[in-house]
Amino acid sequence: MAAITHPLHSLTLTFKTPNPRFTPLPKLTISATSSSNRHISGRKLTAAIIGGGPAGSSAAEALASGGIETYLFERSPSGAKPCGGAIPLCMLEEFSIPPDLIDRKVTHMKIISPSNLTVDFGKTLKPHEYISMLRREVLDSYLRSRAESKGVMLVKALVTNLDVPFQPNQPYIVNYTVNNRMEYLPVDVVVGADGANSRVAKAIGAGDYACAIAFQERIKLPDDKMEYYENLAEMYVGNDVSPDLYAWVFPKCDHVAVGTWTMCSKQYIKQYQHGVRSRVYPKIAGGKVIKVEAHPIPEHPRPVRVRGRVALVGDAAGYVAKCTGEGIYFAAKSGRMCGEAIVKASEGGHRMIDESDLKREYLKQWDLQYKTTFRFLDLLQHVFYGNNAAREALVELCGDEYVQRMTFESYLYKKLAKGNSWEDFKMVSNTIGSLIRCKLVGKQMEAFDPNVLAKVARLHKIS
Amino acid sequence: MAFMSSTPTNLPSFSSSSKTHFPINTFLSLKPQSRLLFVPVRATENGSGAAIVVDEKKDFETKEDPIGNGAPVAGVVEEVVVFEDPKWVSGTWDLKQFQKDGATDWDAVIDAEVKRRKWLEDNPESSNNDFPVVFDTSIIPWWAWMKRFHLPEAERLNGRAAMVGFFMAYFVDSLTGIGLVDQMGNFFCKTLLFVAVAGVLFIRKNEDIDTLKKLIDETTFYDKQWQATWQDEKK
Repeated sequence: MAAITHPLHSLTLTFKTPNPRFTPLPKLTISATSSSNRHISGRKLTAAIIGGGPAGSSAAEALASGGIETYLFERSPSGAKPCGGAIPLCMLEEFSIPPDLIDRKVTHMKIISPSNLTVDFGKTLKPHEYISMLRREVLDSYLRSRAESKGVMLVKALVTNLDVPFQPNQPYIVNYTVNNRMEYLPVDVVVGADGANSRVAKAIGAGDYACAIAFQERIKLPDDKMEYYENLAEMYVGNDVSPDLYAWVFPKCDHVAVGTWTMCSKQYIKQYQHGVRSRVYPKIAGGKVIKVEAHPIPEHPRPVRVRGRVALVGDAAGYVAKCTGEGIYFAAKSGRMCGEAIVKASEGGHRMIDESDLKREYLKQWDLQYKTTFRFLDLLQHVFYGNNAAREALVELCGDEYVQRMTFESYLYKKLAKGNSWEDFKMVSNTIGSLIRCKLVGKQMEAFDPNVLAKVARLHKIS
Repeated sequence: MAFMSSTPTNLPSFSSSSKTHFPINTFLSLKPQSRLLFVPVRATENGSGAAIVVDEKKDFETKEDPIGNGAPVAGVVEEVVVFEDPKWVSGTWDLKQFQKDGATDWDAVIDAEVKRRKWLEDNPESSNNDFPVVFDTSIIPWWAWMKRFHLPEAERLNGRAAMVGFFMAYFVDSLTGIGLVDQMGNFFCKTLLFVAVAGVLFIRKNEDIDTLKKLIDETTFYDKQWQATWQDEKK
């Protein structure tokens, strides 16, 4: 085993130690002070980011810009992640994403209820507002190369394990394989950005979380059918396409992605995919399936997001919004916030940090800024995605222009949209009204005599 | 009684019905449907339209198999049933056909919509761009809903409240000798009154007690998950 030797890295071990547990490194100055963090002499703080997606790259960029010695580990830089690929407007600005990366600008959305009530969701979008659709491989590699240009050292390797130190002043050891060789790297701080099946989370005992499974088929359509989806995305709700969430048709660079996701009925995901395909059928007939992909999506944050000098960001921490399933923006933002927190707490890499620094600067700020958003979306999911009657009410409500404007503004800018109280009051009373009406219809449906329905069937069947 | 009387009981069943209610028969009916010929049952579209659909469907089918759906391509062309009703015209109910004594019979409209939604739940249909569905429940006026659903329920609940109230007032009077007017001045009696009204409003069936408990757990669950990382600190 050999450690990475870097000109600035004064800690170098050049041969394998028989004891797999590392020995205390002599060059570390341990000056125990009661309250403040100790000053690191002779070197800068070292950080390892595991996972090179939006979360990892943003964290790496923030750390390197702040003067921390950063290593970014990514096992397959050219991999294409299965993903919706939609990012809000604010992300383009905040993360300076060049417009030529965008494949498509979605300006219209259609939401279709179980009874096929269709609403056009996008009447209030201004000409400069849209949802950007990108390919994940394009976005990820751009963010990684930008991080590299800021001084991050990219390591194309698979991280196999993270050794957590027994004593608080010892470094973390990142064990990884590169070119079929096992290597290791000691670092002071670790940021786990390795997604839903995070190894870093396992190493620190962060606990488990419930995952939904998303299943998607990429279908290449004939040109005339593709024209329909030029800048239109569709969202389907109903028990036949997803019992607790929704199904979608998103346009991508030259094909559409048709998929669905569910949390409570993961074993039936293929049936739900069948359901979406039947629902969309006339619009995708003649298409060719070019790729099938599936991925777990975390439902809620992990029980532990920071432990010792390890922080989790992005999917690894469980920062996926309920109701919409949006994760890219929150991953990138949490990565950046974590990186900035470490830079601030370590004063540009000169001081060692500890768990309380991470919690105070990163976790607390994150929770303060986004917990209400996540809670609100959770409430929406509970109220509107429970059963068909509630979904009908949801689609009915989405026809209202005020609702559309508020939704898009909140989504695109990630800020609570400024509404006026009279319209808010009207919206709330319409919500209650729609929910009551659709619930009543739902109750009537349940009490419906199936024999009458059978007679209806016989009446309409064409022999 | 409050107008909101029907809302509270509606809320609990939102989440409770979702988890267990996967209709297996829907799944079974989905599979054969996917191989069925989609025959649009409209007077305007006829043979030529159907022919095109056949080819496309076959095209689609053969690509499906390598992915491993395991569904054999149907050689026989069957027909799928589409919702059709003389009163359902271009994506909405034709209210002129629901006239009774010169005014629209809203109860019949509600019944027709219930039938249609039930039908679609068991036989999901693909959305049609030529005849998009535009009917939603807000077309039916609020007083029609009130007359049919709210008023009978309100009558029942008011009846319950009156019965409970009368006997509780009599019971308290016989025990303490305080008359009805003086009871209203007492804080404990006012609390009992509040509990009685809330009980009548929120607990309408025996199952509601469990449903309410589950609802309270669910609303605080997500919050607990976010707080979990801070619990570590307290240990």
